[in-house]
Amino acid sequence: MGDPELLASYNYDEFIPEKFMRWLNFTASPLLGEPSPDFPLWDLDGRATSLSATWSRYTYLIVEFGSFT
Amino acid sequence: MNAIADRFASQNVGPIFLYTHEAHPGEDYPHLASMERKFQHARDLREKLGVTRPILVDALDGACHRAYGSMPNMTWIFAKSCVPVYKSDWTDHHSVSNAMEYFLEVATRRRAGERLAPFRVERLDFKNKDMARSTRGSSGTGPRPYGSTAPHSDRRPR
Repeated sequence: MGDPELLASYNYDEFIPEKFMRWLNFTASPLLGEPSPDFPLWDLDGRATSLSATWSRYTYLIVEFGSFT
Repeated sequence: MNAIADRFASQNVGPIFLYTHEAHPGEDYPHLASMERKFQHARDLREKLGVTRPILVDALDGACHRAYGSMPNMTWIFAKSCVPVYKSDWTDHHSVSNAMEYFLEVATRRRAGERLAPFRVERLDFKNKDMARSTRGSSGTGPRPYGSTAPHSDRRPR
């Protein structure tokens, strides 16, 4: 799946500025009030879904992004 | 954030936790090299750290995470009309709760017949610095995250 260089750099192996700072790009993120991009996602059993399939089920959808670490 | 999900569930507010890359890869939870590993880390988030909200996993290349700004612990709120109505570069339950109360009040005002039009606002919210490790924390990364030179409480990028 995907570009090996991208996979390696996005999934950086140590928390040092030269490896993580390039990804912090909140100021260029989608505008509020404008249609936003949809992406495939998977549940914990590996079943495919999408962001749009999830937000369309609710009046509002709260999405927290994060990881174990 | 689990409590917020419970609090607003009866008003058709859905919560998800979207699993990204490892922000602080370490000895026990190293950087992700496969989807299988990513699913395992996400399951551990539920089982070891008690995230009760539905957890969805992003692609290994972080396509969704990157498109929305790649911050390590940001929160977005989407309306059913597929537009984001709130975004925060850090997750703070006070801020999210405050926003949800406002949006639900908007729905109440509309049902009461008030004619409303959207506008954009910027606001600076405040997080508790004593809780820098957050409810998820990074205590499970292992003895020492790779590249870390600071104590756990100072390892967040902001």
